[in-house]
Amino acid sequence: MKKVLEGNHAISWGVQASDVKVIAAYPITPQTQIVELLSEMCASGALPARYIKVESEHSAMAAVIGAAAAGARSFTATSSHGLLLMHEMLHWAVGARMPVVMANVNRAVGPPWNIWTDQNDSLSQRDTGWLQIYCESNQEVFDTTLHAYRIAEEVVLPVMLVLDAFFLSHTSEVVDVFRVEEGREYLPPFKPVDFLDPTRPKAFGNLTAPDLYYELRYKIDQDMRRALDVARQADEDFYRLYGRRYGLVEEYRTEDADTVLVTSGTVTSTARVVIDARRERGERIGLLKMRMLRPFPEEDVRRVLGRAQKIAVIDRNIGFSVGGIWAQEIKAALWPLRRHIPLFNFIAGIGGRDVTPGVIEEIVDIAGAVDQPERDVYWIGVKDDELSYTRS
Amino acid sequence: MSKEKRIIRDHKEMPRSSISSEDMRWNRTGSWRNVKPFYDPKTSPCIAGCPAGEDIQSYIQLAKEERYEEAVRLIWESNPFPAICGRVCYHPCMDACMRTQHDEPVFIPAIERYLGDYAIEHRLMPDAPAQKHPHRVAVIGGGPAGLSCAYYLARAGFGVTVFEAKDKLGGVLRYGIPEYRLPKHVLDAELRRLESLGVEVRAKTVVGRDVLIESLGDYAAYFVGIGLQKSRPLGIENENAGGVMPGLAFLEAINTNRKVEVGRRAVVVGGGNTAMDVARSALRMGAEVTVVYRRTRNEMPAIEDEVEEAMREGVDFRFLATPVAILAENGRVQSVRCQEMELGEPDDSGRRRPVPKDGAFFTLETDAMLVAAGELPDTRAFESIARVQNGLIVTDEFGRTSHAKVFAGGDIVTGASTVVNAVARGRGAAELIAAQLLDRKFDPRVHKKVVAIADVNTAYFLHQRRADMARAQQSAEAFAEVNLGLTCTQVQDEMNRCFSCGVCDGCDNCFVFCPDVAISREDGVYTIDYDYCKGCLICVQECPRGVMSIESEAS
Repeated sequence: MKKVLEGNHAISWGVQASDVKVIAAYPITPQTQIVELLSEMCASGALPARYIKVESEHSAMAAVIGAAAAGARSFTATSSHGLLLMHEMLHWAVGARMPVVMANVNRAVGPPWNIWTDQNDSLSQRDTGWLQIYCESNQEVFDTTLHAYRIAEEVVLPVMLVLDAFFLSHTSEVVDVFRVEEGREYLPPFKPVDFLDPTRPKAFGNLTAPDLYYELRYKIDQDMRRALDVARQADEDFYRLYGRRYGLVEEYRTEDADTVLVTSGTVTSTARVVIDARRERGERIGLLKMRMLRPFPEEDVRRVLGRAQKIAVIDRNIGFSVGGIWAQEIKAALWPLRRHIPLFNFIAGIGGRDVTPGVIEEIVDIAGAVDQPERDVYWIGVKDDELSYTRS
Repeated sequence: MSKEKRIIRDHKEMPRSSISSEDMRWNRTGSWRNVKPFYDPKTSPCIAGCPAGEDIQSYIQLAKEERYEEAVRLIWESNPFPAICGRVCYHPCMDACMRTQHDEPVFIPAIERYLGDYAIEHRLMPDAPAQKHPHRVAVIGGGPAGLSCAYYLARAGFGVTVFEAKDKLGGVLRYGIPEYRLPKHVLDAELRRLESLGVEVRAKTVVGRDVLIESLGDYAAYFVGIGLQKSRPLGIENENAGGVMPGLAFLEAINTNRKVEVGRRAVVVGGGNTAMDVARSALRMGAEVTVVYRRTRNEMPAIEDEVEEAMREGVDFRFLATPVAILAENGRVQSVRCQEMELGEPDDSGRRRPVPKDGAFFTLETDAMLVAAGELPDTRAFESIARVQNGLIVTDEFGRTSHAKVFAGGDIVTGASTVVNAVARGRGAAELIAAQLLDRKFDPRVHKKVVAIADVNTAYFLHQRRADMARAQQSAEAFAEVNLGLTCTQVQDEMNRCFSCGVCDGCDNCFVFCPDVAISREDGVYTIDYDYCKGCLICVQECPRGVMSIESEAS
């Protein structure tokens, strides 16, 4: 049924449709509405789940890990400093092989205090072993919640679904939702393999020497690689049941594109508009939307970008002294190609600074003006007298 | 340790994360310990502070559960007179109360009074003794020491005869402490319990005058608790003028409804409880009262509450002054000349000795002068049988005198003291006499280690003020009881303020907090499984009342 929902509430509906049993969360702007609506659903019985109020995000993740360890499908949500506070537990969820799902609303990290969107919070967690899926619309957010449980329980690793602060979290869009009865067709009940069972007591997470720890890490790596196919299948199955699919990446007007923009999150929607405008003017320009960060869909990236003459990656984040993080990932994925393709790395929108069509036009112009990038990183719009390229 | 190690050759043989292949209980993590908690109940400071050794924590615990009768009977194990002591005691229990360090002490005397009054209202009586013995003991003196001794001997099954000089039993309780502090009907109700135990009373009998102790008869033992009889005179001229009275005689007159006049102005000399009783009584008879005391308020031996009440009621105080001459006219006192004093070196009591200030005098015009500057013992009747020193009968801490069959307690042994101290010594002597007569070992009560504030975790207690006791209206009849006691609700709230220091009350903190799940609870008893206790000491820390203690693992 169609409803007008803000992104946060689309997640709440997704959690309800996924038949989640335990929710433990701590509020933080701009995710609070997710768990607020969930608490109301629990109170009214619309969602027969146990809602645990905890005193911090670290405890939220710990509680959710505990619930999953007991065999319950679990959920939490956070953002920015909340995500950072639970960092230790993020590693734990992976090592303990807990298929929990968390929604992270991308919010810039302080100090200075900032509530608007950028991706540093989630991207800085990319080595924890969590799967990460970045969403562009509220519909995608609802749908991806179900994907997330499907993938998580299949590969037995935790999944983070990521959405932009305010542009998605607080903006209302039409979302076609369904309830748990319909969701059950897609998501069967959780069947944990190793879980806490008082009748068969065991210890979990014991001290393990180098002779076996190494292999346990190897297994995580193997399962995360496997997740690429699992995710593709999850996407396909969802399409067959509900008529919507997203892929691990999405190509937009890339077939004959010379220049391919690479974006993630809501910048993608704005970029589509610019792509269309440029195409009107005859430019051969396309867009690659990055949806999956981990596991990284290297083959898809090589396939799409391998055909381009120029690549312009727009990063709403910064890996200090290195450049945009998506750009870094893409360069690594392109490394095996024999052809060297010029790659422009643009930083834009950090701390929620608006990425307007004008900003993307400027990016396209800069990339179009030269054959090779003249610098490693272009900080679009930065207030620096000495820089000549920036005008936004 | 577990069975022989499995050799793994391929990661596919392994679970996804580290999981023990079997139950881990073989790993007795108690072996990691270097310090060890244990349950170590301690004595609450109120109990240690009470001269009678009342088990205050326990009786409060019982009363919290509304087991009032059991609470009363528990008090009676140590003190037969809760309705009296709850009113007049100087409450060292409350002064020792640990809660003072958190907000305000528990109002223990008010709780004791409530329970004492409950016993009276419900006409509770002590159980008859389990066994009666043929011995009979003579108790000389029907004041708090003698009454207490008689009570405990009677409960132990012995015959008791109390010899009392005055008309009725009570001693200072009847003839000293005025009605507005201790109503006679309360005293009489407490004394009925002695009657119920079959104690024989021979009133109006002064041992040493009406009968000599040697001819009293054949008693198995004797207890002397005659207290202090007379006010010490000042030794100044005109002390026998009209209007000048010894304090004790004044109080006796009032307490027996005999006519006595104080006129419009009265001077009271002294700083002890007698002086306060005299001052407040004279006030109630319509006089403007000035208390003259040779030291300062800090050195006054009177109970602090009494001094405060006297001041609140409007008694005037002249500190650092002492009368040096009484000016009389037509045989009646007209004024009192006083010398100003200052504090010099400490005397035997440890208090700084008052020293006259040269040339500093003042005169108080007055209609009456009441002398309450100390009381004197009269041991003449007993000097032939027991050793006396400095006018007081010499005993050990349990009441034995130099004579094998004679015991003594109360003010006649200690000098001027308090009701509860007399009651304690009476009981102690009774237990000693009982042991001696039955040829059994005497086991005096011993306290366990007293709880310290560091043992208590006050984070578990909300702040709550002490209950306010209602007082009689100004317009009430002059000698009507001033303090009206607490209501049932107030008492319940007040008892809930008690920390129960050093004694477990089943709060479950240790049980809930143990991270090793090493503490179990059965039938309200907690046990530590030392196979798994790692000695983190969280239980000790989180015990709100300091019941647990720590010892080194080596011990």
